[in-house]
Amino acid sequence: MALADDERWLLSYYRTSEINGSLFFGRLARALKPSPIQHDLTKHFADEAQHAWYWTDCLNRLGTRPVKLSEAYQDQYLEAVGLPANLMEIMAITLVFERRVINQYAKHLSVPDLRVEVKETIGRIMEDERWHVQWVRDALTGMEERFGKDHITDTLRRYKEADQEVYAHTLAEHEARLGFLLAPNHTEPEDRG
Amino acid sequence: MTTPNQDEIIGRVADLLGVSEGRVRADVPLADLVSDSYRLVEMAIELQDDYDVIFSQADLSAVTTVGDLADLVRSRAG
Repeated sequence: MALADDERWLLSYYRTSEINGSLFFGRLARALKPSPIQHDLTKHFADEAQHAWYWTDCLNRLGTRPVKLSEAYQDQYLEAVGLPANLMEIMAITLVFERRVINQYAKHLSVPDLRVEVKETIGRIMEDERWHVQWVRDALTGMEERFGKDHITDTLRRYKEADQEVYAHTLAEHEARLGFLLAPNHTEPEDRG
Repeated sequence: MTTPNQDEIIGRVADLLGVSEGRVRADVPLADLVSDSYRLVEMAIELQDDYDVIFSQADLSAVTTVGDLADLVRSRAG
């Protein structure tokens, strides 16, 4: 059975978001001086690029090609929260974003009768995503002395609130396309945020 | 560390953006020099690294010109 247009669009949206994440982290990895953060950020950037390839390959194996999309989730994100100005703010927004990604992929994994190609692709990506959350959380802990633990906590709270608004807005904007994720018989995964 | 002077910071901004120093003056809007907003973030990170200072989101959103940015670095480094 051919991939439905809505699912093709969503997999393409994931692909575009992975590409945008990769490009941003790649540029940042290039800008940073050598440090443990530069090391992990470079791996993170490479993972995101790989994830974009996984989705491209997945769509190909499903007999179709990615939809060309001009906007990704991150664009709405930055519009809502503003541009981060320092490394702590970048790490905080990344942590909130990565948790959102894990939740979204978990939600997709719980769709009934999920195609095996999609299930495998999400499974491969989730292994990396767990590490992304871990290293970014550790990096933020390491910044507590310089930025202040309370300030980091406040920044995370502010970004998390913005994330909830952006996600709700995205769901509303693409309600028709995302209907298969919101079906009544579909169990919502627990909030891992 | 001594507080960097404005010319030095403006020279560094020109380096980071890869544009000739003649184009980068204190009164030039940053928006005329950066190709996209991500470039502004990259440059902000590099400047903070170079001068061992911290900018917040609120600091950066108040910056319009190259001179504003140089003043911000100087105020944080001082």
